[in-house]
Amino acid sequence: MLGSGAKAAKPSFVSYISPEEIHIKEPIEKEVNPRLLPGELLLCEANTVYKYIQEDGSNRGTYGKLVCTNFKIAFLDEDSASDDNEPQFKNKIVGENDITLQCVDQIYGVYDEKKKLLTGQLRKYPEKLIIYCKDLRVFHFCLRYTKEEEVKRIVSGIVHHSQTPKLLKRLFLFSYASAAPNNTDGRNQTVMFDTLEDWRDELERTKGNVKYKAVVTNEGYRVSEKIYKTISKPPYELLKTDDLSSSLPSLQDIQTAYTRFKQLFLIDNSTDFWATDVKWFSLLESTNWLEIIRRFLKKAIEVAECLERQHTNVLLIEESATDLCCVISSLVQVMMDSYSRTKSGFQSLIQKEWVTGGHGFLDRCNHLHKTDKEEAPVFLLLLNCVWQLVQQYPPAFEFTETYLTVLSDSLYVPIFSTFFFNSQHQKDTNTTGESLKIQSGPFKFLTVWDWSVQFEPKAQALLSNPLYAEKPKPDKSQRKTTRFKHQRQLSLPLTQTKSSPKRGFFREETDHLIKNLLGKRIGKFINSSDEPHNSFREFYDSWHSKPVDYHGLLLPCIDGPEIKVWAQRYLRWIPEAQLHGGGTIATAAKILDLMEEVQSLQVKMDEEHSQAISRDVQAVPMLRNSARLSSLFPFALHQRQSIKPALPTSTWKDLEDEDDLVKRDDEFVDLTGDML
Amino acid sequence: MEHITTPKVENVKLLDRYTNRKAANGTLYLTATHLIYVDASAEVRKETWILHHHIATVEKLPLTTAGCPLLIHCKNFHVAHFVIGQERDCHEVYTSLLKLSQPVKPEDLYAFSYNPKMSKDNREIGWKLIDLKVDYQRMGIPNDYWEITDANKDYEVCNTYPPEIVVPRAANKATVIGSSRFRSRGRIPVLSYLYKENNAAICRCSQPLSGFSARCLEDEQMLQAIREANPGSPFMYVVDTRPKLNAIANRAAGKGYENEDNYDNIRFKFIGIENIHVMRNSLQKLREVCETKSPSMSDFLTGLENSGWLRHIKAVMDAGVFLAKAVKDEKASVLVHCSDGWDRTAQVCSLASLLLDPFYRTFKGFMVLIEKEWIAMGHKFSHRCGHLDGDPKEVSPVFTQFIECVWQLMQQFPCTFEFNERFLLEIHDHVYSCQFGNFLGTCHKEREDLKIFEKTHSLWPFLLQKKQEFRNPLYRGFTAYKELQPNTLPFSFQFWCGMYNRFDKGMHPKQCVLDHLLSCMSQKMKLEDNASELENKLPFLDGPLPTEACSFPKMGSASKTPMLNTPQDYEGEPPPVLTNGTAVGDVEVMSDVDQKNKENLSKHQDPHDLKDAFGVLDSEAKDGKPQHP
Repeated sequence: MLGSGAKAAKPSFVSYISPEEIHIKEPIEKEVNPRLLPGELLLCEANTVYKYIQEDGSNRGTYGKLVCTNFKIAFLDEDSASDDNEPQFKNKIVGENDITLQCVDQIYGVYDEKKKLLTGQLRKYPEKLIIYCKDLRVFHFCLRYTKEEEVKRIVSGIVHHSQTPKLLKRLFLFSYASAAPNNTDGRNQTVMFDTLEDWRDELERTKGNVKYKAVVTNEGYRVSEKIYKTISKPPYELLKTDDLSSSLPSLQDIQTAYTRFKQLFLIDNSTDFWATDVKWFSLLESTNWLEIIRRFLKKAIEVAECLERQHTNVLLIEESATDLCCVISSLVQVMMDSYSRTKSGFQSLIQKEWVTGGHGFLDRCNHLHKTDKEEAPVFLLLLNCVWQLVQQYPPAFEFTETYLTVLSDSLYVPIFSTFFFNSQHQKDTNTTGESLKIQSGPFKFLTVWDWSVQFEPKAQALLSNPLYAEKPKPDKSQRKTTRFKHQRQLSLPLTQTKSSPKRGFFREETDHLIKNLLGKRIGKFINSSDEPHNSFREFYDSWHSKPVDYHGLLLPCIDGPEIKVWAQRYLRWIPEAQLHGGGTIATAAKILDLMEEVQSLQVKMDEEHSQAISRDVQAVPMLRNSARLSSLFPFALHQRQSIKPALPTSTWKDLEDEDDLVKRDDEFVDLTGDML
Repeated sequence: MEHITTPKVENVKLLDRYTNRKAANGTLYLTATHLIYVDASAEVRKETWILHHHIATVEKLPLTTAGCPLLIHCKNFHVAHFVIGQERDCHEVYTSLLKLSQPVKPEDLYAFSYNPKMSKDNREIGWKLIDLKVDYQRMGIPNDYWEITDANKDYEVCNTYPPEIVVPRAANKATVIGSSRFRSRGRIPVLSYLYKENNAAICRCSQPLSGFSARCLEDEQMLQAIREANPGSPFMYVVDTRPKLNAIANRAAGKGYENEDNYDNIRFKFIGIENIHVMRNSLQKLREVCETKSPSMSDFLTGLENSGWLRHIKAVMDAGVFLAKAVKDEKASVLVHCSDGWDRTAQVCSLASLLLDPFYRTFKGFMVLIEKEWIAMGHKFSHRCGHLDGDPKEVSPVFTQFIECVWQLMQQFPCTFEFNERFLLEIHDHVYSCQFGNFLGTCHKEREDLKIFEKTHSLWPFLLQKKQEFRNPLYRGFTAYKELQPNTLPFSFQFWCGMYNRFDKGMHPKQCVLDHLLSCMSQKMKLEDNASELENKLPFLDGPLPTEACSFPKMGSASKTPMLNTPQDYEGEPPPVLTNGTAVGDVEVMSDVDQKNKENLSKHQDPHDLKDAFGVLDSEAKDGKPQHP
C-alpha cells in the first residue's frame, strides 16, 4: 500500500498455519495451460503457487500455476480449467484471475512479514507477492511452496514486464494486431472523427456549420503533432476565455487525491477495513477526491451558463489543452447535448474530445512506465463526474454505471488502440508501414467501442439502462420551428468548446488571438470574480427550480451531500461490501421484471388487436428471478463470498435456498391484490 | 386561541435559506393549529403551512434594516426564516408561538380538537385496526412455552407496560411479581418476538437493581424460564445495549447489570449505544451541518463525521444485526435491556424483528411493530418528542433513529419493503404532529387516563387511505426475502437527505425514479385491465376484429416499450405528489388540505372508504401469512 509503510509490519501477513494444514484440495497434478490470445506469448511460469481467496487471516485459497505472458499475468487453478464455474458477467479477454500488464498498479513482496515495493532489479525473492491492480483488485500469492528457480523467474518476470519502462512498439497491441487481423467493422455507430466527413457531419448535426467550417489544415501534421489532420476552424469572434490551469486543481492535485482515495479501497486485510469505522468520513474528506469532482462539475456548470444564458462562446485554455480542457468540454457537452447521453453519442464524444483531441493516454495512464511524473487519472476523473450525473438522473442516460465501470477497466486492456496512444499523430506514425521496421503494416487495431470483443450479448445487456427515457422522434414540422432554435443554442458552444484544444497548434494565429483577448477581455473576466459566481448561482438555482427535461440541459446537484462515492467501481471486489438480495442491482432486476411484464402485456394487446407480428420480448436472462443476487453483481464472484462474520456469531447460512426464491404467482397477487 | 394576539401580519418576508433568490413577500397568519404564510409576490399563490406542534424552537434574531427576523426550527427539519417589519408584531408572534408550540395541558394538543368528520363507529373501528393479540397468534402464541397473561391488568406489575404481556408459562405469578421488584420501574422480562422456526425468543426488560452484589431468586427463575422456553439452546444471551461504563456507573445507584455468576447459562454482552443526551447533541450537530449554506465536500464530510450521527445509527443497526443473528444462526434466545428499557431496547428489538420477519416489512406489519414495541411497551413519546412544555433534557430523537435505520435498510434492500420513504416520513411527521392519539402520553395507562381512545383518532386508517402514494413499486412481495443481512460497514450508511434536508427543494433530484415507477405500475395495471377487457370481448366477436371494437387504436403502434418513454407520457397526468417535498409540507393540514391532495391523486383510483381499507388489510394479512416450510 502506498504511503503506509507502517502497516506493512502487521503480523496479519504471517501464516501461522501453513496452507497445507487447512486447504482441502491437493496441489493440481493435471496440466493447466493458459488460454492465449493471438500474438500472446508465454514468458515465464511457476507451479504450486498458493493464491489466497482473501487476506482475512483464514489462509483459505487454492494452489495453481502463476504465469506471465506479454499480455497478462494469470493464475491458473483447477477451477479455471473446468468451465462449470463460469461467472455470469464474463469478460472474454480478461479472466477473473487475469491481470493485464497495464492493469498492474504496484507489486509488493513480503519478506519476513515485511512488505516491500518491488520495482526493478531484485536481490532477494519474497515469500509472498501482493499485486495491486488499477481496477482495484488485490491478489495475494504465496510462493513458499514454489521451487526457488521458478520463484526467481516468475517474480523478476512479472516485475520486469509490468513495472519497467517499455517501448511503445513492445505493447501487446502490436503483436495482437499483426497476429489477429481485424476484419470486423467495429464502429458501432460511434463516430471516430478520423475523417473530414465525420467533422462535417458533426457540424451539420450541431448546426455549427453556419459559422464554422471543417478544413484540412493539418495534413501531414505540419501544424501540430498533437492533433489530427482534420480540424474545424473557429472564426475570430469575441469569446470568454477561461484559463483552466488557474481555476481548477492541477494534474498533480488530481493524481495525489486519487492516489489517496484509492487506498481506502485497496484492502490488504479485512481487519484494517473494519478499523476504518470511526473515521470513514474524515478519511474520505482527507483524500480531497470528492471535492475535486465537485469543482470540475461546478466549472462545467459555469461554462454551460456562459453558453446557455449569456450566449457567449467560451475558449478554454490550458497549457496543452489536452487534459482539463477535455474533462470540462466533455462534461459541458454531456450536460447540454442529450446525444452525448446515448451510448453512441458518449463514445463519439470521447473519440472527439479525447482520442483525436490528443489526450495523452499513454502518459497519463503510465502505460509504458517511462516516468511516474506524467501520470494523472484525468480520464477516470471524467468518468467519475459523469457517474455523478448518471446516478442523479438515471432516466437521462442510455448507459448504466456498469458501462462506465467496464469502460474504466478497458483503459488497461491493450488490445484496443483507443487508449494506447498519446495522439492521433502518434497512432498514424506507428501504424503505417514506413516507420515500422519489424513489421509490415499498416495495422488495423480494434476499437474499444466494439463491446462484442469483450462481452457476450447477454452481458452487454447490462450496459444499457432500462430506465432510459428515449428521445421522442419529433414531427418534421416541429423540427423546423422549435428544434432548430434549440439546437443552435446548443450547437455553437459545442463546436466552440471543441475548438478549444487549439491553443497549442495554431501557434501564430492563436497566439495572436490570445494576445488580443488577454488585453481586452480576460482581464475583465478574471478580475470580476464575484460577478460570474453570482450569476452562476442564479443560473443553477433557477434551473433547479424548474421541472427537468431529460433531453435538455442537465445540471448536476453539487452540494456536499450530493457528491457520492462510486460504490460499484470502488467496492466491487470487497466481499465485506456485499449484500445478498440488496444494492442497486436489486432495483435494476426488479425494474427489468416490470419492464418485461409491460412488454408482454403490450404484445398480448397487439395480438388481440390485429394479430400483429409477435415481438421478441427482450430480457436479460441473468437477472430473472434474482431476488437473491449479490449487490456486487455483475462483479461478485462465487469464491469471493465473505466468510467473516460481522459480530461474533456464526456465519449466516447461504441464502440461495431454492425455496426462498420468488414465486411469480405470489408476486402477481402482491402487485395487484389491493390496488383496486 | 387565547394565546393569539395578532392573527395576521402583513409585509412579512420569507427568506429562502437554500437559494439566493429574492425573498418572498407576503402575509403571515396564526390559526389555532397552524402558522400559515401566504406568498403574495409569487405568480401562483404559494402557501407555507407550519403546524404549531412541529415547531421545535422559535428565535428572535437581532433587528436588521429589513425588519425583525424570526427563525423557526421544526421537528421535521423544516427551517423557516421570516423577517417581520414591525418589532412589536414580531414579538407578539414570537410569544404566541412559544405557547402554541408547547401547550402545558394535554387537552390542548391538536388531537383533541382534530375532527375529520368521521362517524363514531368508524373512529372506533380505526382504533381496533391493530390488535397485538393477532400478532402473537401469528408467532404461535399461546403455545407450550409462552402465554399471554393479564397479570398486569391493574398495572400492579408495571405501570408503564400494557395490561396484557407475554411471559413464559413456567414463570408463575410469584416469579413475575418478585422479578418486577428487582427490575427498574418494574419492567420485567417479557416477550418481544418469537422466531417460530426454532423457538428462539427476543425478550426485553429494564436493568436489574443489582447494585454491587444484590440478587433476586425470582428474577433468576424468570431468566431460567425464558431460557428453558427454548429447549434447542443450552444458553441465552443477555444484552445490555449501553456502553459498559454507563452500566457500571449505574451500579453505584443500586442498578446495574446481570452478574453472569448468578444466572445459569447466560452469556452477557454490552453493545455500546449511547444515551439520549448524547443522541440529542449529535442530532443538534447534524442539524447545523444540514443548515450550512451550499456546503463544500469538506464542510459536509467533516461535519457529518463530527456529528457522530451515522456512527450512532450504525451502533443501533449493529445491535439489531447481533440479535437477529443470535436468534437465527445460534438459535439462542436473547434478553435485551438498557436502563429503563424504553429507548435503546425499543430500537434494537424492533429492528431485529424487522430483520427476521418479512411481515414487519409490509404496511400492516410495520404498524403492528410500532404499536407493539414502541407504543404499547411505553416509549415515552410525549417526553422524547417534547409534545408538552416540559424538561428539554427528556427530548431525544430515539424514534427518529429507528425510522432512519429502517430507511438505511431500504437503501440496502430496495425490493424488500412494501412501503416507500414517504411512508416513513409521514409517520415521523405524525409522531410530532399530535394530530392523532397514537403517540400521545408516555404509556398505555396514561393514554387510558387521557381518554385517547374515546376522544381522538388513530393514525393508521388515515395512512392506509393514502397507501397508493406510500407504496414501494420495487417491492418483490412477501415471500421473496426472509431474513435480511444488512451491511454495517461505515460506508454502507448514507446521509438521509430526504429527511434532514427534506424542505430544501434544491437538494433533491427533480423527478425521482420512485414517481416514475409508481406511474409505471399504474400504467401496467391499466394495460392489464385493457387486456382482460379485450379478452372478455373476444367471445362475442366473430372473424377479424373490427377496428372500432378496439378502444385504444393507438396502443398497437406505440413504441415498443411504452414504460420507457413515460416521462413524456406522464407529465400530463402527474402521479401523486410529484413535486418532491412540496406536498409533503402541507401534509399536516389533514382536514382541509387532505381533500385537495386526494383530488390530485391518480384519477383512476377510487376513493377509499375506510371499511375498504380494513377489508384490504384483512385479505392482506391472509395472503401475508409466512409460508414457512
